[in-house]
Amino acid sequence: MTTSPADVERTVTDFLTRIEKLPEGFGDSTPLYADGAELDSLETAELSATLEDVHGSDPYSSGEMPQTLGEIQAFYAALPA
Amino acid sequence: MSSESPQTPSYDPAAHYDHITAAWALLLGEELHYGVFDHADDPLDVATRALTGRMVAAAHLDEAPSGTRVLDVGCGSGAPAVAMATAHGVDVVGITTSGVGVETARKRAASLGLDGVTFEQRDGMDNGFPDASFDVAWALESAHLMRDRPALLSEMARVLRPGGRLVLCDLLRFREIPFREVRERRVDFATLRAAFGDAHFESLDYYVEAVRGLGLEVEVADDLTQATLPTFDRWRANAELHHDAVVDLIGVEGHAAFVGSCDILEAFWRDGTFGYGIVGARRPA
Repeated sequence: MTTSPADVERTVTDFLTRIEKLPEGFGDSTPLYADGAELDSLETAELSATLEDVHGSDPYSSGEMPQTLGEIQAFYAALPA
Repeated sequence: MSSESPQTPSYDPAAHYDHITAAWALLLGEELHYGVFDHADDPLDVATRALTGRMVAAAHLDEAPSGTRVLDVGCGSGAPAVAMATAHGVDVVGITTSGVGVETARKRAASLGLDGVTFEQRDGMDNGFPDASFDVAWALESAHLMRDRPALLSEMARVLRPGGRLVLCDLLRFREIPFREVRERRVDFATLRAAFGDAHFESLDYYVEAVRGLGLEVEVADDLTQATLPTFDRWRANAELHHDAVVDLIGVEGHAAFVGSCDILEAFWRDGTFGYGIVGARRPA
């Protein structure tokens, strides 16, 4: 799978659906933690590992703590081609 | 591990307790909680009674007058509530979000013909009881499953009469766990979640400061980590002894998750990450 915004969104929404935490109206500006998807630290670690498994790298392992899907997509968009 | 799809596990406390109550009676013993081992060879039931005894002492139930009302928040299957009412003649209202827990607890009280012990399906973080309506607010190993700890403690304090006591014992966290470690050990943490639900631990200092902040006077704040350590040996022994019955109730994966969790938690106990403690505090008269 590529690191296109659409593919990254699919990875994140599939993950949130699997753990039953996909908020209604989820979009690229919905918070991933409080007042949004309500991910806790373990679920965030699992999302980090899922992103790495699917896309080869992930923002969390690079020291970032993205707050939204949009920030995750921005991480991949900034990677060297 | 359950009739639920492995793709959609539920770690919600109510669903979790509904699922595991019967199996845990075999694994953890009738009281469904850790034990305090005054001697290394104490049987588990002696040790679990010793922990309950610590809570009884912190609540001053030995000197409780007739009519004393106790709110048991997160009452499990009702064993501590029934024991309190039997031994100390107090009236106990046990609450849990688990329907199975309420049903089991009611049967337990009815089988003993106990008056003055009732069980209701309510949320400890929003218990709905009137202000100042209990003499003791009691939470035995339930706080770690309640996500909004300030709400739990605030609700316990709110329902206390002047002179009443809040007593709580639970698993503790002794250090911050950085995200990188959570990620590296996510399989261990996921195993704990599968066995024990969506648990979150606080420090002993957190509980002490939180109840002080609610205007209570702290009387007891004890670290019981070493005294509870043998619990894991006893739970593993029960898992072996009751293997087939537990597998029938929660499946092979549930049994394996429980045994794995004992090993993981014991290691965390020994390396100073997690442990156990008790807090007792009094509302000024």
